[in-house]
Amino acid sequence: MYPFWEVPFFTSGIVIALIATFHILPCHLATGAFWFLVYVERKAVREGRRELMEFVKRYSMLILIFCFVIGSLSGVGIWFAATVASPRGISGLIHNYVWGWATEWVFFIIEIASIYVYYYTLGKIDDESHLKLGWLYAWAAWISMIIITGILAFMLSSGKWIETGGFFDGFFNQTYWPQLLTRTAFMFGIAGVYAVIVASRLENRKVAQELIRTASLWGIAGMAAGALFGAWYLFSMPAHAKELGLQDGLPYLKQMLWAAAACYAVVFAWFVVAGLIRPRLAGPVSGVLVLFILFLGIGAGEGFREGVRRPYIIDQYMYSNQLIARDLPAKGVVADIDKYQEAGFWNKLYFRPEKVDLSTKMGRMQAGRLIALYQCGNCHALDRFGKMRPLPVLLQNIAPESPEDIEGFMDAVGDYPFMPPFAGNDEDKAAIAEYLFSIIRR
Amino acid sequence: MELQTYLNNMMDPAGLPFYPIIFQVLLVLTFALHITMINLVLGSTVVAIWELGRKNPYGLRLAKALGRVITVGLSIAIVLGVAPLLFVQVIYDPYWYTANTMSAFWAMLFLLVVTLAFYSAYGFYLGNRRAAMENASTRWAWVSLVMLLVAGLFIHMLSMEQLNAPLWKGWLVGPDGTVSVAGGEFHGVSLGRLLHFFIGSLAVTGVFLMLYHWYFRQRADYEQEYLVYVSKRGVSIAFWSLFPAIAAGFWWLGTVPQDFHFVANPFFVLGAIAGVCTTAYIGTSFNKPADRAIPAAIALFATIFVMCCAREGLRMDYAGLNGYSIFNYHVNPDWPSTILFFATFVAGLYVLCFPAVAAFKAGRVPKGQVVTLDPELGKKAVQVMVVWFGVVAALGLVISLKNGALF
Repeated sequence: MYPFWEVPFFTSGIVIALIATFHILPCHLATGAFWFLVYVERKAVREGRRELMEFVKRYSMLILIFCFVIGSLSGVGIWFAATVASPRGISGLIHNYVWGWATEWVFFIIEIASIYVYYYTLGKIDDESHLKLGWLYAWAAWISMIIITGILAFMLSSGKWIETGGFFDGFFNQTYWPQLLTRTAFMFGIAGVYAVIVASRLENRKVAQELIRTASLWGIAGMAAGALFGAWYLFSMPAHAKELGLQDGLPYLKQMLWAAAACYAVVFAWFVVAGLIRPRLAGPVSGVLVLFILFLGIGAGEGFREGVRRPYIIDQYMYSNQLIARDLPAKGVVADIDKYQEAGFWNKLYFRPEKVDLSTKMGRMQAGRLIALYQCGNCHALDRFGKMRPLPVLLQNIAPESPEDIEGFMDAVGDYPFMPPFAGNDEDKAAIAEYLFSIIRR
Repeated sequence: MELQTYLNNMMDPAGLPFYPIIFQVLLVLTFALHITMINLVLGSTVVAIWELGRKNPYGLRLAKALGRVITVGLSIAIVLGVAPLLFVQVIYDPYWYTANTMSAFWAMLFLLVVTLAFYSAYGFYLGNRRAAMENASTRWAWVSLVMLLVAGLFIHMLSMEQLNAPLWKGWLVGPDGTVSVAGGEFHGVSLGRLLHFFIGSLAVTGVFLMLYHWYFRQRADYEQEYLVYVSKRGVSIAFWSLFPAIAAGFWWLGTVPQDFHFVANPFFVLGAIAGVCTTAYIGTSFNKPADRAIPAAIALFATIFVMCCAREGLRMDYAGLNGYSIFNYHVNPDWPSTILFFATFVAGLYVLCFPAVAAFKAGRVPKGQVVTLDPELGKKAVQVMVVWFGVVAALGLVISLKNGALF
């Protein structure tokens, strides 16, 4: 195993979640905004309405500064965060989908070239060619979503890949299309919020009102379609994900789903009220507030997606603690669990002290902490006052009276539908039990 | 457990979807593009600060122009950097992930530092766009420069840690048996290697300024004196910075283990010859820097590319010390996805011609003049995108239906 990075109280998973949630806002804006922008520019060109071009300029500037600073950096940030939090997880994805990411990179290059040229050639090249640059960006950005959605969907439902190991068998899986359509619809909603904010700042009030109304209609359509496709998405999830998220497997996931739905409903209502009924309410203040609500909604929605995947980080293939769950003969992969249960986990660690005597309590405590970090630390804080599923509190709930009770618990931990089995031999189990017993909050 | 066993155990069990040499070539090529752009950004920031400090109208104008170069260049550099970041994880995963996890705090801080560098660059560019001499400020450029240097230091450190695999265990496992999980390791800085890269940035910017004159000399609304000023500065910066850059390179060379016989590495020899020839060529370009801009740019990029090959050779030497070779990776060729990438890559190059031509032509006419492009160029570029989508969507529907994954 790679060295472990412990984030006290919160776990490293929270670092990824925060960066990923923050990434969605600029990246979905980047993918959706140009469709609206090209629509407005086309109107300006075809109907000879040059006054609309002020919006085109300001909106593209926002996309440039926001999406291509925060968006590109947070995108790279997810990679770095995944690298340090779950190196075997990201490695597993990359070694299957490197060509997918590389293909997406080609579209990134097209995106960045076309958006800069689009912005800086405004009024310098003929209208039709300028429009084509807008189209080029819109397509490139959306195609990058088409690609990354395949990899995200694969993590939730690996499809036939688990039998064949084939790139496209995993890519076009059962949650791919509904997820793509849901994201596509919501990207118009996100683009609509930003468009309303930008339009509300225009000095020409007549144009501002018209664009606020148009952007709101796009937003309403996007949010409504997103809700419909979202329902299909939920319906298409694998059985175990439905059990966790929609039934009572993990009740908090259902709450997250409701929270996401509530946030999206608020955004929808804002489009209706501020965009169509009382345009005076559409402004930077309410817009930024709605963006914050959207951020919370995205956080809850993405949290739900990550949560229902449990106990896997890659459906059926790799557990959230980065251990390989099952053999994949098509690629010659052998599962980790049986291997570690037979040969031991502690023995196989490279980054560990050589001289630790597991027959002593001190030795077991020392080894136990490291084993606990590797096997539990991706999802659970080990600190007494940890905030993210803290083991000292969770273990208190099962009230073990001795380390042996915890050993028994470790034998059965894989029976929970959202937990990986313990991957270690009896010595490992004794060590982790000794350590976990010592941290229980009493 | 031995280091070699650890490294080989950590190679991803899924293997590679294509032959390692292909990933290695792509790694080197995309890294060369990325580092050239990073060099341009870093060097332009230094030159912009310098030019603003000269307090002359041409210096101010050039600093403003470089403000735009820095922001656009940093965007492009980040996007270009995604590819080598991807490919290094494919073939050097045990090294990359070990270094990053043991230095996770710094890897995370890197993101914050680059964000600050980016917004500071925008602060410099937007803040000075319409500034007169007396109120132009270098404050944000300084912040950006410091952040860029710190970011460079962090990535350099992560690279150097990868080369020092035999020391990893000693860094992480203390003598008292404690294992560090804080992600705070920071080791292996090589000043020679770092300076070679930092100073080389000035050479790239110098050549860029020569190109600046070459490109804008057709513009009737650009003063020729200004363009001459820019290219003279450029050729001078490029020429005089190459000497310390080469000297720093030899300092770095002195720290490379003798056993590698790196001075005999063909890529290093070729790179050194290319470096000397490029320096000599730029040295003979003082009188006609604009005329010599294109060959100088080609020569400099060729040198950078060959040195990137040499750098990769050096990494292989270090990896070989630990019994690691990318050619030991087991390969499960996945032809469909390989074809997807290479077909997209070729199509992407074709599509990119459109924005490239648009930018090139639009920049060469005076302000207020509108350029009319061949309508077929844009139309075909967009058509390629639509066709790509159509083909992939059709493929996806067929596979989804075949696998029963659609309904």
